[in-house]
Amino acid sequence: MDAIVVDKLRKQFDPPKGPVAVDGVSFAIREGEIFSLLGPNGAGKTTTISILSCLLKPDAGEADIGGFSVIRKPDEVKKLIGVVPQDIALYDDLSGRENLMFWGRMYGLSGSALSKRVDEVLELIGLTDRQKDRVDKYSGGMKRRVNIGAALLHKPKILYLDEPTVGIDPQSRRAILDGVKDLNSQGMTVLYTTHYMEEAQELSDRVGIMDHGRMIAVGTQPELVRLVGEKTRIDLGVDKDSHQLAEHWRALPGVASVTEEEAGPLSILAEDANTLMPLLFDSARAAGARVTKIDLAEPNLEMVFLHLTGRALRD
Amino acid sequence: MRALAIAWKDVRHTYRSFAGLAMMIIAPLLLAGAIGAAFGGGGGFSVPITKTVVVDLDGGAAGGALVSALTSERLADLLAVTKTTDAAAARASVDTGEAEVAVIVPAGLTAALSAASPAPVDVEIYKDPTSTLGPAIAGSVVQDLVQSLNGARAAASAAAQLAAMQGITDSARLTALAAKTAQAFSADAQKGGTYAVGSRAPVTPGGSGSTKPNTAGQILVGMMLFFTLFGAATPARSIIDEQREGTLSRLFTTSTPRSVVLGGKYISVFLVVLLQTVILLVAGRLLFGAHWGSIGPVIVLVLAGALVAASLGLLTVSYAKTPAQAGGGSAGIFVFLGLISGSFTGTASIGGAYDVVRHISPLGWLIDGWNHTMFGGSWGGIVVPVLAALAFAVVFFGVATFFFRRRFA
Ligand SMILES: Nc1ncnc2c1ncn2[C@@H]1O[C@H](COP(=O)(O)OP(=O)(O)OP(=O)(O)O)[C@@H](O)[C@H]1O
Ligand SMILES: [Mg+2]
Repeated sequence: MDAIVVDKLRKQFDPPKGPVAVDGVSFAIREGEIFSLLGPNGAGKTTTISILSCLLKPDAGEADIGGFSVIRKPDEVKKLIGVVPQDIALYDDLSGRENLMFWGRMYGLSGSALSKRVDEVLELIGLTDRQKDRVDKYSGGMKRRVNIGAALLHKPKILYLDEPTVGIDPQSRRAILDGVKDLNSQGMTVLYTTHYMEEAQELSDRVGIMDHGRMIAVGTQPELVRLVGEKTRIDLGVDKDSHQLAEHWRALPGVASVTEEEAGPLSILAEDANTLMPLLFDSARAAGARVTKIDLAEPNLEMVFLHLTGRALRD
Repeated sequence: MRALAIAWKDVRHTYRSFAGLAMMIIAPLLLAGAIGAAFGGGGGFSVPITKTVVVDLDGGAAGGALVSALTSERLADLLAVTKTTDAAAARASVDTGEAEVAVIVPAGLTAALSAASPAPVDVEIYKDPTSTLGPAIAGSVVQDLVQSLNGARAAASAAAQLAAMQGITDSARLTALAAKTAQAFSADAQKGGTYAVGSRAPVTPGGSGSTKPNTAGQILVGMMLFFTLFGAATPARSIIDEQREGTLSRLFTTSTPRSVVLGGKYISVFLVVLLQTVILLVAGRLLFGAHWGSIGPVIVLVLAGALVAASLGLLTVSYAKTPAQAGGGSAGIFVFLGLISGSFTGTASIGGAYDVVRHISPLGWLIDGWNHTMFGGSWGGIVVPVLAALAFAVVFFGVATFFFRRRFA
């Protein structure tokens, strides 16, 4: 049974000149699954989530959440979902507890049920002992945790998390990822957006890769990696003008792509690393450059993105 | 229930901000207190007392009448008169600033006024050029009196002529007749003298006009009405703030309907100004001893005022895209409405065409209502002002809701 079905969604901001943020996106999320939308800045992840949250109306296409259309049955949809917005949306002058109490009321809870649920959520996000402090006194990670907690009060069947780990310390990030897995193991369906390949890799049952408003690939991780084929990624650092070398290497046989990152190593997708490596070293020597670093990696989601777009995921 | 939770959060937020409190509560109280004190505090409006020196070089009936007019009971609130006999010393006291004005009655004024064809004699008003009001009062008293004495002289001479025409030739009798006529006329003229500068408050007295309202209190009403506009704008602006900070979107993802969210905002704006009004009225009572009138009409006026302010605050936010836009645009509108209503200039009583202009502003109507209750008026006098104010509120709420609906559809 599918919890979320998205069919050819399209959304353009400020038409006719504005950006087409979501351009014919389709995917389905099964009940009880963690599905990640992976994509760089501006890919259209937040816009997609906004449509699925009934905040934005799509120009075309359709989306059903738990069998209810976001366009025709938004009230039913809202009862099913919990939304963790990308930007922290809390009241700074209220304490953590007051925030949760308020958002709980907005989800229709009241009285002792509300108070009890707030206690539970505070426990869950590990803020029981800081609950009385104002949110503006919290660290970034603590705010992120309250931001998530506020979406859990009504025990939603489906949880959207829009880049919930941006700008926080590794411990808080760990806690959040573990928390998401916990919630999922209790049966919650999770739609998770990120531009961190590692997060998508660790969490997801299936991943949708988005770029420029389009869904360029959807599948389990093995399925996606197979798209790259038996390629290996070689990261090479050189001490000289890497741009010229990159041009050179693109012409070499067995090179699928070469990606240049500013002040970083060159990333080469190779059909066969064993035969290519000597060629790379030779041409570096011929150009008078010295190889300062070398790194080999098996295919991963990052490489899938690289393979499909010719660009690195992180900009 | 959910709307109240939203309203409570916003009311709390508004009253937690010191800047908000300063603007909503402290500013109107300070202004009313300061202006009230400047105009003599407790009673109605009164002009500061002018130190006046009178020199009577005439010594006759006319001079005596002038001096007694200037020192009369009814001018005691306006002029503090000292008498001296030295004109030069009197001028010197104005020069040194001891007095603001010297009135010097020239020798021979009585004689001049008694003569059949009087030689021009001037009563001198020697004044400090920086002070305007006091000398003007003294001047007009003098002018009135001289005029009425002139009138008396004319009347006496006319009476004497009339008697002569009737064949009365005894000069002693004629003089006595003329003197009597003159006396009667000038006494009469003085009685109805036009220089009775009463202390009148700058307001339209209310229907049954029995109570004399408290100055600072009257000013506070104007200030209060004006500053509730700003009081309402603050929580109203939270709609834009929440939109920018993402909490509004988050509210819209919950199961709370958008209309309830907006309703909560409306309630919060209303409660904020209601609370502001009550605080100001209670503070005005405690600090200035102001009397607002009988409780029923006062409650109705408070509610009507809060509705006007709340609806206008929401209206100015409903079409604005940014907080700055809402702030800038609304402040201009508020000052305009405040100014034309006379709510903080104390010009509500000017009358004439201005009286029409004043009622373009809902505050003008509300001030009318308050003036009725403060002067002891009851229900009768507030019906029209309250209905007019409510009509404004209905229109404002309607337009605001139209814009909000379009925006958050
Ligand atoms: N309210 C808006 N008005 C106009 N353009 C918008 C608006 N919101 C997003 N966009 C544009 O739509 C495109 C997709 O934006 P979106 O926020 O959905 O991307 P995203 O994948 O969430 O990116 P990020 O990782 O930076 O959050 C971008 O080009 C963005 O500039
Ligand atoms: Mg985003």
